[in-house]
Amino acid sequence: MSTTVNNPTHAAEPVRRSAVTKAQIKGSSAARRARSTRIKLWLGTILTLIVVVPIAMANLLPIADPNMQDLGARRLAPLVDGHLFGTDQLGRDLLARVLFGGQTSLMIGVLAVVVSGAVGVILGSIAGFYGKWADVIISRVLEAQLSLPLLMMLLLVVALFGPSIPVITGVIAIAQWPEVARLTRSLVLVEREKPYVDAAKTLGLPKVQILAQHVIPNIFKQASLVILLLLAQAVLLESALSFLGAGPQRPFSTWGRLISDGQDYITTSWWMVTLPGLFIVVLVVGVNLLGDALRDGNLRRSSKKEGK
Amino acid sequence: MLTYLPKRIGQGLLTVFLTVSVVFLLIRMAPGDPAASFAGPLATSEQLAAVREQFGLDKPLFEQYIIFIGQLFTGHLGQSYSFQAPAVQVVMDRLPYTLTLATSSILLAAVVAIPLGMWMARRSDTDAELGVNVLTIAGQSMPDFWTGIMLLTGFSVIIPLFPASGFTTWGGLVLPTITVAILQVALISRMVKREMVNNFNAPYLNIARSRGVSERVLTWRYALGNAGIPVFTALGTRFAAMLNGVVVVEVVFGWPGVGSLIVRALETRDYPLIQATVLITALLAVAVQLLIDLAYPLLDPRVRLGKAASA
Repeated sequence: MSTTVNNPTHAAEPVRRSAVTKAQIKGSSAARRARSTRIKLWLGTILTLIVVVPIAMANLLPIADPNMQDLGARRLAPLVDGHLFGTDQLGRDLLARVLFGGQTSLMIGVLAVVVSGAVGVILGSIAGFYGKWADVIISRVLEAQLSLPLLMMLLLVVALFGPSIPVITGVIAIAQWPEVARLTRSLVLVEREKPYVDAAKTLGLPKVQILAQHVIPNIFKQASLVILLLLAQAVLLESALSFLGAGPQRPFSTWGRLISDGQDYITTSWWMVTLPGLFIVVLVVGVNLLGDALRDGNLRRSSKKEGK
Repeated sequence: MLTYLPKRIGQGLLTVFLTVSVVFLLIRMAPGDPAASFAGPLATSEQLAAVREQFGLDKPLFEQYIIFIGQLFTGHLGQSYSFQAPAVQVVMDRLPYTLTLATSSILLAAVVAIPLGMWMARRSDTDAELGVNVLTIAGQSMPDFWTGIMLLTGFSVIIPLFPASGFTTWGGLVLPTITVAILQVALISRMVKREMVNNFNAPYLNIARSRGVSERVLTWRYALGNAGIPVFTALGTRFAAMLNGVVVVEVVFGWPGVGSLIVRALETRDYPLIQATVLITALLAVAVQLLIDLAYPLLDPRVRLGKAASA
């Protein structure tokens, strides 16, 4: 890093021709980093859309009914008889099952992230803002939960309350809120020392109002950056639960269940496991790339701000 | 140190105790009757009552809990319903398999991830690094059960290199290890990269460079030396988590470890077995975490236990 750092804004000054060439600017580490962030952003967007758009439009697309059985057309290979992804052991169209199953999986994922995000932001900001016993209690619960065997506890709770969609959503939200809460807490700890908070206190605003109206909106953007990463995690967790038989029950064909059903046929029908799995991978890679790119971009922006 | 160690052990034991207590309550609140699954669907209500009495499930919940706490001190958690053997013994029999899988996975992950992360740090922001970066994100995005089934299909069905299930030969260890390690490599290598880049940018490295320290020493001794501490902690924490977290992979590969045991115990509502599994894995995880924390000052002389570490 001791080598020349080319700042693009300097090079663009029109008054005097710079000795720094365009190629040098492009080759500088800052420009290269911005470029990789851009590539990640685009790649992530494309991959996510490839999966999300067909799922969102599943009801409009000319595909078969996901529950229509045709025992004469069992385990057809992909592209045979107009079945783009082939059929499963009961002759149901696999593409339709993947798309409609994806609706359930995605819905659970999004709901879980919304719930865990709300709980995490509220509890995290309470712990960070009020401190004292509120902080002690919330931080202890966080620590305790982080040391618990996660998947085992999730299986237990699902066994306890039954594998309905609200329960599974809740369970995933429980698994995820510590991450949001920890991040929010650390952001609020920094934020509450800023002068505007003191100013609001001097004006006599109640603490709740300062927190809800001034502090939370200021940290919200940074806290929301984890949302995409959480969504990726939620989709993976749901598929793992479904795979173990603790996912939404029939008639919902979630991705994990499709894979677990197809597992018995891997020797003869590779597509029944491979294609639903690829759907998960493409979606989660896309969402993770997007989340990564947004975080990179945000980090750079905030470090620039602090530098000035 | 003298106050630190007892305090940490106490905290750890408290966590374990709370965990097993929560599990004790949860499984008894759950629907599903262990007596019914033990006696079979044709059992009469008298037979069910007899089984409940035999298992001690006819007693009030509070009394059962007191008995359970007493059992915790003796280390005998009762007979497993489905194995008809002491539950602790059943778990102990399975533990070596999980330990083997966790150890081999973490070793493979470390051996691949650390050099990979160093390479990524050195080539930071080049096209090749971007490619590898995207690959690691992909590795982090694959559901482990899917990766497992894919590897199974590829290397034991299509090309029969390794056994498909169980642990009969050492070859059976290869595919589960790779499956578990993929995610760890993805996470750890990115962490190594981040830490190394931070150290490359740190002022101390420039000073060392200006004093003529060679690039090789700068990379290996200086940057890796400092980056190694958080990476070591991360590896340890992941290892501790694996002691009860490889459930999915164990199920896919029919691996006779603790993970597949707990799934079976949950299905059959085998209360003593569930409790024994949770107790032993939680104890192990806490112990491993404690060992990591104790090793910290050996790696980093700046750390004083009970001060910086507990903050």
